[in-house]
Amino acid sequence: MSSWDDDESAAVSAAEAATTDVELLRRAWRNEKAAPEILRFDTPLVSRVREQIQLLEETLDDFADTGVDDLVVSLYQMDLDRTLFLLRSYLRLRLQKIEKYTMHISRSDDLLSRLSPQERRFARSCAEIMEKHLEQSVLSKLPYGYDSVTRQSLSSTEDDMVPEPQLDTFVFCKTKSDVGAFQLDDIGEEVVDLVADDLYVLRYKSIKGLVEGGRIDLI
Amino acid sequence: MYGRRASQLLKEIDSSEAGQLAPFNSDIFDQVIRECNEHNSQFQSLIRKIVEQNLNIETTRNEDHYGAAIHHLSLLRNKRCLMAYMYNRAEVIQSFRWKVGPVLPHDIQEKLHFSEKEYFKNHSAAIKSYISEMDIDLTVDMVPPKDPYIQVRVLEDIGEVSLGDHSVSLTKNSLHFLRRTDAEQFISQVFYLFLCDILLSLLAIFSGNNTMLNLL
Repeated sequence: MSSWDDDESAAVSAAEAATTDVELLRRAWRNEKAAPEILRFDTPLVSRVREQIQLLEETLDDFADTGVDDLVVSLYQMDLDRTLFLLRSYLRLRLQKIEKYTMHISRSDDLLSRLSPQERRFARSCAEIMEKHLEQSVLSKLPYGYDSVTRQSLSSTEDDMVPEPQLDTFVFCKTKSDVGAFQLDDIGEEVVDLVADDLYVLRYKSIKGLVEGGRIDLI
Repeated sequence: MYGRRASQLLKEIDSSEAGQLAPFNSDIFDQVIRECNEHNSQFQSLIRKIVEQNLNIETTRNEDHYGAAIHHLSLLRNKRCLMAYMYNRAEVIQSFRWKVGPVLPHDIQEKLHFSEKEYFKNHSAAIKSYISEMDIDLTVDMVPPKDPYIQVRVLEDIGEVSLGDHSVSLTKNSLHFLRRTDAEQFISQVFYLFLCDILLSLLAIFSGNNTMLNLL
């Protein structure tokens, strides 16, 4: 179901089609782990991986019935365990990000559209629970005009009390293919030549588009 | 000085170890709330004074205006501190769901504000409903698996446990070689030990090197 060795050709986009789903999940997991904001949920990939996990579980049951060598069984079991961990950890990471930026996410349609339907429901109830908690512990005791959860006071013209992820933070990343001269800022003062298979430390904000387009991997 | 008390709350958060929770400081918390209401009544009376003198509230820049501004800003600062205090504590409380489980031990319960207890309960329920919707248990497998089998030492009598096709008697201090997936339900409480110094049911000693400290 997966090749655990890091085939060099896997980095080349031509070989992309040959990459296994577990490898893709691992990439999504790594990106999710390193990115400060929540990334798009890959629904087809997750359901494919879950199907394969089920298949492998059935295979293992068959092995137990037919009495296959224990060593072979434990190798399969290890493969299954690793894949399961990857999937659980990926889902957990996303939930923890949603918990952390629940109010920020629940008031942006763009961010909400990146979540799976289940995650959207989770985000909604998380935001409700958090608001209720802050409301009854702090805000209800404050004077009128200062009791909004998203604004400091009535004189604020925009939501200025919502915790947001720090998109300016630096991330380690690895290019998959040649991107060429890439502009890091708006005015074109900082340009970097992104060569295939090279490591960089860049601001997340400036390479956000490349991450979303799958042209660069975070590590 | 205005705003000093509120900053004490945040210093408390800052000086406590990551992932640890100090008892809810209701004494200072209530004082800051009182301070907020005091600022507000001062603010209102200064504004009334400006209005009574028939001055334009938008353009007047006398001592009353600046006094009111200071009360307003102090109130904002206090509010930010109170919210940050609650919010940061809530983040730690959330993490308990993953590290400790759906029921908090008594000594953690004691440290919580009543609203925080409710928050933990509601938040756990939200995670639970996500897990049942996805039909995958996310509370196990907290650390990357190294080997399908692990060696464990039992720290507390658990009794007869049936694992797949055979049953094992988990008596205190006995050593066993189990399938990781079987032992996991007990080992997830490893985190528990480091959180609240309570005996856990099972202690995992990963064969060869003791990786327990690495994974914490």
